[in-house]
Amino acid sequence: MSSLVPSKSSVSSDEDTVAQSLRGRGMEKLDDWCGKWSDGCNPILIKETRQALKSRQFIVTFSLLLFVALSWTIIGTFSLMPAIYTTPSAPPMMLGYYFVLALPMLLVVPLAAYRSLECEIDDGTLELLSITSLSPWQIVLGKLASAMLQMMLYFVVLFPCIAYAYTLRGVDFPTTVALLVMLVFAGAMMTVVALFFAPMSRSRTGRVAMLLVIIFLLFVAEWVLGLFAYDLIEYGFDLSIGFDEGWVFVAGLVLVCPAFAYLLLTLAAAQLTPASENRSTGIRWALLFLTATSAAWVALGSNSEEFSRGFAEELLYIAGVILVIVWTLAGSMLVSESAVVTPRVRRDLPQSFLARATLGWLTPGPATGLVFSVINMVVLASLVSFFMFATDQWGGGFSPRSSRILNQFIFALVAYQTCGLVLVYFLMRLLRRNNNPRVEVGAAALAVVGVFSALTPFGIELYSNDFRQFPYSNLQATNWVWTLYSILDGDDRSGVVSCFAFLGVIGVVWVLYLNPMLVRPLRTATPERVKQELEKAKLARKKSRIRSSRQELADDIENEFG
Amino acid sequence: MSHEQTDDNAGAVSPSESQQAAFSMQQHAQGHEDHEQRRAVPAVHGQSDDCIEMRRLHRFFGTTKAVQDISFSVKRGHVFGYIGPNGAGKTTSMRIMATLDLPSYGDVFIDGLSCVNDPELVRNRLGFMPDAFGTYRDVNCREYLDFFARAYGLAGAERTRRLAWVLGFTGTEGMANKPIRGLSKGMKQRLCLGRTLIHDPAVLILDEPAAGLDPRARIDLRRMIRDLANQGKTVLISSHILTELAEMCDSVGIIEQGKLLATGTVEEIEQQQVATSELTLRILDRAEQASTVLKDLPLVSNLLCDGDLVRFEFSGDTREQAELLAMLIRKDFAVAECTAHRKSLEDVFLQVTEGLVQ
Repeated sequence: MSSLVPSKSSVSSDEDTVAQSLRGRGMEKLDDWCGKWSDGCNPILIKETRQALKSRQFIVTFSLLLFVALSWTIIGTFSLMPAIYTTPSAPPMMLGYYFVLALPMLLVVPLAAYRSLECEIDDGTLELLSITSLSPWQIVLGKLASAMLQMMLYFVVLFPCIAYAYTLRGVDFPTTVALLVMLVFAGAMMTVVALFFAPMSRSRTGRVAMLLVIIFLLFVAEWVLGLFAYDLIEYGFDLSIGFDEGWVFVAGLVLVCPAFAYLLLTLAAAQLTPASENRSTGIRWALLFLTATSAAWVALGSNSEEFSRGFAEELLYIAGVILVIVWTLAGSMLVSESAVVTPRVRRDLPQSFLARATLGWLTPGPATGLVFSVINMVVLASLVSFFMFATDQWGGGFSPRSSRILNQFIFALVAYQTCGLVLVYFLMRLLRRNNNPRVEVGAAALAVVGVFSALTPFGIELYSNDFRQFPYSNLQATNWVWTLYSILDGDDRSGVVSCFAFLGVIGVVWVLYLNPMLVRPLRTATPERVKQELEKAKLARKKSRIRSSRQELADDIENEFG
Repeated sequence: MSHEQTDDNAGAVSPSESQQAAFSMQQHAQGHEDHEQRRAVPAVHGQSDDCIEMRRLHRFFGTTKAVQDISFSVKRGHVFGYIGPNGAGKTTSMRIMATLDLPSYGDVFIDGLSCVNDPELVRNRLGFMPDAFGTYRDVNCREYLDFFARAYGLAGAERTRRLAWVLGFTGTEGMANKPIRGLSKGMKQRLCLGRTLIHDPAVLILDEPAAGLDPRARIDLRRMIRDLANQGKTVLISSHILTELAEMCDSVGIIEQGKLLATGTVEEIEQQQVATSELTLRILDRAEQASTVLKDLPLVSNLLCDGDLVRFEFSGDTREQAELLAMLIRKDFAVAECTAHRKSLEDVFLQVTEGLVQ
């Protein structure tokens, strides 16, 4: 009888075994689930995370972060004693934690992302990745995602410290949230900038120069955001400022920064894309997106009465400066593209008349690039005029005189820019006869054109006047620096502007005349064999998914019923 | 109504296309932009059974002509040896095959698909092993292979299966969890071969895989390559170790200064290139007299008599060689031994190439 009754110890050991097996099965299930989940992840993210978690850089940074955060908690708390019990003491503690967190998030992680992509190029692993199924976009996004993951780890580690600082009173909840959002947002943006610079140069000297540039930019960002964070913590996130102002500011961040990040990532991916593929159309879409979001931002600002009165000029100058720089660089590079369109790219060209009329300017080539740039610049200039008109209805900051000056200045800028791009187009066409220059040469050519067009008439007239001062004359028409300066000074230069606008139009028409093929359908059919192969690949993927889900089902049944 | 121009009917480059190509290249040299559009490589798709087909491949770097009009093909399951001195254009043409570079003119077809126009379809069929290792820091062998399996789109059980197969085939199971940086050169090379095989490609392009390996590692590599060929994979391999290539390759191509000088099996090239063979006869007693007889024969040259050894260059084929021996025996010369010196791949290579470097 006694043998039929299990002893207490044997019951407990059976329970242990069952519990262990359940735990084991639970872990197996978790492992399986993680494995399945990782199949859907970007392979670069998985590889980078594995690498980063084992790297000396991460271990050192993580340990230092913990040590410094703990040290600051102890030192800060004791230095604030005994007032800490009676007075709000969060600001100094929060500022300390901000700097502890900002160092890895704004400096270490972006630099690590830069080095990671640079090493892929340096060690030759990028070539190995280029022949896999991974697209350049996946490579860049994988690096960005890995950097964000590292940032999250640092953030999670310091979260209890920030919560502790918050309980000390003196920094309200919106300020704390604004501080952290700003840090994450800035960290992500700086990582994007670092990834943009990483593939820019393939030579050793160039890479060293790029590294110096990125380190400089990261330190500047660290400094500027540090000042901003100090102000934020010291004075708090002022919710009492006009809702319009805050809203337009946030809209600017939400609209323009992601568009700018998208452009930089597209440029980084384009630098990793093989030459046979279409790198230009994606960049043009990204430029269009940036221009559209900037215009939307300006439109939002002009629609807001309070904002128009207070910040109209500042908004216009910020947006204007960004777009002038972007379009000067982009335009000069677009007109420097090679006119050769590979058969592969020609398969995806727009085909119908409507598609060619609307999307034709997004296809690769210098002539389409010129038209695309000029149209965008003219649209932007028109938008600025409209903006000035719109702000007038709120009694905005533009007097009729300043409206006239600004209008003339902007259209003069567009006219000079157009003429410069036409000249660069012909210079690059000449250069491409015996060479295959990079598109960056176009930017250099525009700079040379700009310098010579300004200095030559100035030098001639200075010489003819025996090096004495002389007033503006029509000979200085090509001297865009003096002309623009004199327009801002209030002089009427409508004659010069009209003349250059006319020359610009003639130049664009001449370029179009030289490229009659632009209006014809250039698309080639995809070969039957390729179509079949693509279909086969799609089918194989479907089959693989079905097989995988069947296998999962079988595994589940086996786990459930043994 | 479709305005599309079809480009999939051309199975081979027609004479008109060749003329157009030559014209286009001339225009390219002159740099005329409009003609550059026409210069683009015709998007033809090979219809033949050859797994690798290089068609009129050219690659220029400024004035340097790295590859000049190279055409050859490799049959499925064959091992092709690509031989040439440093700077001959081997790596350049292999990089074009691997879709890492674009030709100035011409195209390469892998399994009938163009490396220029359909690189993503080619990549699924191709495994490329460059001369550099291309490894990562802080990653072990299993993680490294797993990463490339994921990068090729392998998921779930299929990835696990391929990973196990590759580790087994390359003999790296024992070091699967070891960091790559600690591996010997031979083991790294095995790992890189594993990476090349991870997505089960039909074509393998191996650039100097045996460079710097010890004899045992070289033998292992040779065995692995032959195994892969037996499994139906087409292998194109470049190497400086010519004796090894001779043993494992079904055919070879000799390239110098960007030009393909000879292609075929080693024997075929030997026959193409070598007009004479070196014969050594041991004739007992009357060697001097035999040499006088041989001297008068039109197929014999550079005769040298040293004791009972008679050495000479013979420009006939093997049948004529047999007839020569029969004639000597009929004339009562005691021919005790006949040695025909068989030219090695190294000899052929030296004879074909001139040692010119660009």
